[in-house]
Amino acid sequence: MQHARRRGLMASACLVLLVGVLAGCGGSSSSSSGGSSGSGGSTTGHMGGTMVLAWNGIGSSIDPAVDYDQNWTLLNMIYDGLVTWKKVGGSDGNTLVPDLAQQIPQATDGGKTYVFHLRPGIMYSDGTAVKASDFLRAIEREFTVPGPVGSFYQGIVGGDACAKTPKSCDLSKGIVADDAAGTVTFHLTAPDPDFLQKLALPFGYAVPSNTPDKEVGPSNPLPATGPYMIDHYTPNQEILLVRNPKFHEWSKDAQPQGYPDKIDIRLSLTSEAEVTMVEKGQADWMYDQPPSDRLNEIATQYTNQVHLNPVPQVYHMALNTRVAPFDNVKVRQAVNYATDRAAIIKAWGGPQVATPTCQILPPDFPGYAAYCPYTTSPGDGKWHGPDMAKAQQLVAASGTKGQKVAVICTPDEASKAICLYFVSLLKQLGYDSSIKVLSAAVEYPYVQDSSNKAQISFSYWYPDYPSGADWFDVVVGCNGFHPNSSASANLSEFCDPTIQKMTEKAIQTSVTDQAAANQMWSQVDKATTDQAPWVSLFLPKHIDFVSARVGNYIFDPNVLVGGILIDQAWVK
Amino acid sequence: MSTVGGLEHPIDPLADAPPEGWVAGRSPWALAGHKLVRNRMAMAALAVFLGIVVVSFMGPFYADHIAHTDPFTSQLTATTVINGKRVDVLQQGGGVLKLGETPIGPTWQRNYFLGADSQGRDVAARVLYGGRTSLTIGIGSAVICSLLAVIVGMVAGFYGGVTDSIISRGLDVVWAFPVYLLAISIATVLLTQGLTIGPFSISASSLWLPTLIIAVIYVPYVARPVRGAVLSVREKEFIEAAIAQGASNRRLIFNEILPNVITVLIVLLPLMIATTILTESALSYLSIGVQPPNASWGTIINDGQQLLYTRPWVAIAPGIMIVLTVLSLNVFGDGVRDALDPRAKLRVKD
Amino acid sequence: MLTFVIRRMIATVFVVFTITVLVFLIFFHTPGVDPARKLAGRNPSPETIKAIKHQYGLDRPLPVQYVILMEKLFITRDLTSYSNQGQKVVPEIVAATPVTLSLVLGAAVIWVVVSIIMGVAAAVLRGTIFDPMLMVLALIGISMPVFWLGEMANLITQDRYHDTFLFSWVPPLGYTPLTQDPVMWFKHLVIPWLVLSVLYIGLYARVLRADLLETENEDYVRTARAKGLSERRVLLRHTLRTSMISFVSLFGLDFGVLVGGGALLVEVVFGLPGVGLLTYQSLISLDLPVIMATVIYGAIFIVIANAVVDVGYAWLDPRVRPA
Repeated sequence: MQHARRRGLMASACLVLLVGVLAGCGGSSSSSSGGSSGSGGSTTGHMGGTMVLAWNGIGSSIDPAVDYDQNWTLLNMIYDGLVTWKKVGGSDGNTLVPDLAQQIPQATDGGKTYVFHLRPGIMYSDGTAVKASDFLRAIEREFTVPGPVGSFYQGIVGGDACAKTPKSCDLSKGIVADDAAGTVTFHLTAPDPDFLQKLALPFGYAVPSNTPDKEVGPSNPLPATGPYMIDHYTPNQEILLVRNPKFHEWSKDAQPQGYPDKIDIRLSLTSEAEVTMVEKGQADWMYDQPPSDRLNEIATQYTNQVHLNPVPQVYHMALNTRVAPFDNVKVRQAVNYATDRAAIIKAWGGPQVATPTCQILPPDFPGYAAYCPYTTSPGDGKWHGPDMAKAQQLVAASGTKGQKVAVICTPDEASKAICLYFVSLLKQLGYDSSIKVLSAAVEYPYVQDSSNKAQISFSYWYPDYPSGADWFDVVVGCNGFHPNSSASANLSEFCDPTIQKMTEKAIQTSVTDQAAANQMWSQVDKATTDQAPWVSLFLPKHIDFVSARVGNYIFDPNVLVGGILIDQAWVK
Repeated sequence: MSTVGGLEHPIDPLADAPPEGWVAGRSPWALAGHKLVRNRMAMAALAVFLGIVVVSFMGPFYADHIAHTDPFTSQLTATTVINGKRVDVLQQGGGVLKLGETPIGPTWQRNYFLGADSQGRDVAARVLYGGRTSLTIGIGSAVICSLLAVIVGMVAGFYGGVTDSIISRGLDVVWAFPVYLLAISIATVLLTQGLTIGPFSISASSLWLPTLIIAVIYVPYVARPVRGAVLSVREKEFIEAAIAQGASNRRLIFNEILPNVITVLIVLLPLMIATTILTESALSYLSIGVQPPNASWGTIINDGQQLLYTRPWVAIAPGIMIVLTVLSLNVFGDGVRDALDPRAKLRVKD
Repeated sequence: MLTFVIRRMIATVFVVFTITVLVFLIFFHTPGVDPARKLAGRNPSPETIKAIKHQYGLDRPLPVQYVILMEKLFITRDLTSYSNQGQKVVPEIVAATPVTLSLVLGAAVIWVVVSIIMGVAAAVLRGTIFDPMLMVLALIGISMPVFWLGEMANLITQDRYHDTFLFSWVPPLGYTPLTQDPVMWFKHLVIPWLVLSVLYIGLYARVLRADLLETENEDYVRTARAKGLSERRVLLRHTLRTSMISFVSLFGLDFGVLVGGGALLVEVVFGLPGVGLLTYQSLISLDLPVIMATVIYGAIFIVIANAVVDVGYAWLDPRVRPA
């Protein structure tokens, strides 16, 4: 997915940085490789208190059918789905566990049918019971409520028809809900190895079966199943979560009881203000990444309150493979050779905040095998330095010198800095380059629309779930390219038939043999990197800056949390 | 035109030469000029303003020959020599974590006099270049605005009637549209695609866009006094006399109305430039004015915002330049107004 | 008089209407701006975009879309934002208004009081060194970009001198409602009040001084002096009162603009979630319904302020009424 904010997928043990200090509670360790460190009885003393969070958003949708990752950190504490990812730290945080379902079913009928048995006795915060038909309503709303995500569930029987005519959407054949027996049966048109992962996304959260097709607004949130519920939401000012009195813990892995009594989220703050608030203890955590000019300050003066964790987000320059000069693979490779990733990382905040990469897949991802051809002394999979000579050679051989290139970015500081670097670099390589800054609201749809002929733009990709398909079948795959549409995630318009065949084979194989599929994804990664639809730049580290009183910091890498497990942190 | 020296020597209008003892008088323009020159504060302000203009346009010279830097290319990995030691321009953070890359602060020497910004560029050189841009846009848009306002105001004032009504209503609408809102709206839209009218096309990163936008939004501000000046002249009796004598419209406009209008413009111009410079800096600060790779004082203040707590000079320096420029224009403008029209009925809001 | 008022009101409505049409055209008809794409969120499929277009009536002709928008805004009042789709626009503006009002009212009190003192002092002390000194101060106030002054204030109060007794009370940037915590509300607003008022103090001090000096030459003032009234009496009773007419009318106009969102630079710099900030955010994110609503809100305030000032002026000074 694009434009997601703070996410984490798999922590790497050796990159753990620091521990949250808590005075008085007998210490606590929190490392991203460890699991949840609260152990039984000694933690009851930490129950209670009000946790204050600071966010510069104006608040996003609190309707799970509409919100696409802005609010997922909150939504996953309020609502539940059939399955979810474990709420623990470390790479275990990416394991699927049953949530409102009793167990994770095996797919039957050639991988096309899943039968879930609901846990009995779970209630919404308004007292009504969770029923099987609630899930039918939830998925139907993905199509009927105006929003982004019908495509995730189009594989369900009836999904295609729903996508075409949402008004008459009827998924009752694809999702058979038996309220009496408490079972939900999904029928797919074709086996989908990632189906369970898709169900774990908030789009699959249970909603009362009488929820209408309109988006839910801040004044009337949906009733909660999780440990917290929304007390009130004043747009631009505050969201207040309080304990859900009807919640009882049914699975510690899926939805543990939370420690703070209240969670108070302050909105519309500037990142600078947020840093100051956390420093002074007026906020316990800042949602947003600290601005780069405060990094040194918090790192040196509040060292123990800073936590760094890697995330599978790949920042890159997307090169349009159908527009000159980047329609020539030599040119794309040349830019890859010439790019000094260390300089780019400096613009981002230094080598402790970002790690360089040359390829598509991020480290520790299923199918990742370190590969970097675009460096001096290649061979060990690591990037060492730019190879300007090779780059000049390739440019000369391509015969494209002197052509005009416009580098597109958004007005934020880092984006401008990186684009200006590429403008200078392209000039050095002999092109007539210039920078084109588009406002954030306009830039992303603009670069997706192939009729705009965007040549090179600064972008990133953050996977929705840990599968190679989310990369090679979406952002650099044929299925992700829709010509002349502003909804075309494949900015490079890259579609290579050979690689596409490899991708399809890998998807097929992963239904039965994940390990073999992962081998195939490595090959796809290598082949795609060689074709250079991107100039892969770096993977940022996610920075959590917490106040001095916060204890039990746990970094949960899965896409719902992608950072600190808020309700598992101690404020008392 | 000549003025009468005194009543004790009656004039013979048919005489060829002025009678002896007469002192040749001065034209009102000359009088005003003389008064202005004797206004020391106004002259000092003019000197400051011209000084700033000269220094700003010497930006390229400073960058090439004094600072030896290119303030427009990316300098992320650049190094420089301070006190004999070669240091990185962007330096890694300290402590255990070593987070962040901080640009060097002011060296107060030829290289990086005011330090570097977050891309390693020389701030002092950029402030000078930024001055070029800000002054060009400020003066350019004030001049264009005046031209447009003169046309609009004169047409409205001269022809009167329905034309005047329509134009005045139009000015009302533009004027009621809050200046900032109008500017932001137009800028947001035009900056995406640039402007194309028939054969003329302006790219989104051209300096013409902010210039034209600012010029257009202040037209009502200038057109009203212009129109007022036209109306006030029209009503004077000597116009009636001139028309009775058979003077053509053209003669009226050029000989009677235009000089009056020009007085208004001369008084307004320094203040207009001050206003346009402030407006341009506000728009650039909001990232909808001057676009990269061009720099103006406003964009540099925006850059400095990210570095405010660590390298404040990036934000302080361009601000000081703006204050000095606008202040000197305001003082000079006051002097001009005092010289030309000390009892100015122009209740201009600065 | 009544016809004058009615005529002004009609003109007001006409102007606001024109503004809404202009804004609509600017934003709805711009190349590169596709409201349906924005509504569709992240990574939609092309079919989703088409469906949304239809659902929101964005595939209808422009005049129809305009009418639908106006209807949703004024009649059914359920217009929702494009950026935050559950969020109704009108409550959003209503929530932001007290912030702007707090900012502008506080600053207005400060600038009116200080500028009157400065203007009167400068006029009375004409001939001494204080007059030009005060006027230079006023000029400096006018010459500072307000956003820069705000940044400098932040630099001093939030960072450099934050830990000293002078500024340790300054809270981080943001806003607390008056009803929630009056002390905090005050602390958040003090520095923004001062920054916003600097510009206007300069303007109004100069205007007042110029007005005072001009009315000094009027015949009725000379008469008062000739009658033997003291200078102070002359000043306070006669000249000040007349000068206040234009002072008040200017104030009405400026106040209208500021409440309508003109304080956006101060709101941006100090992180105050008022109407100005909302306007700016909606413009930047091309959130068309919110843009339309904030523009109308602002235009209404300004135009009403204009009309009130015109009417008030005409009522106060019969010479000004049109024939």
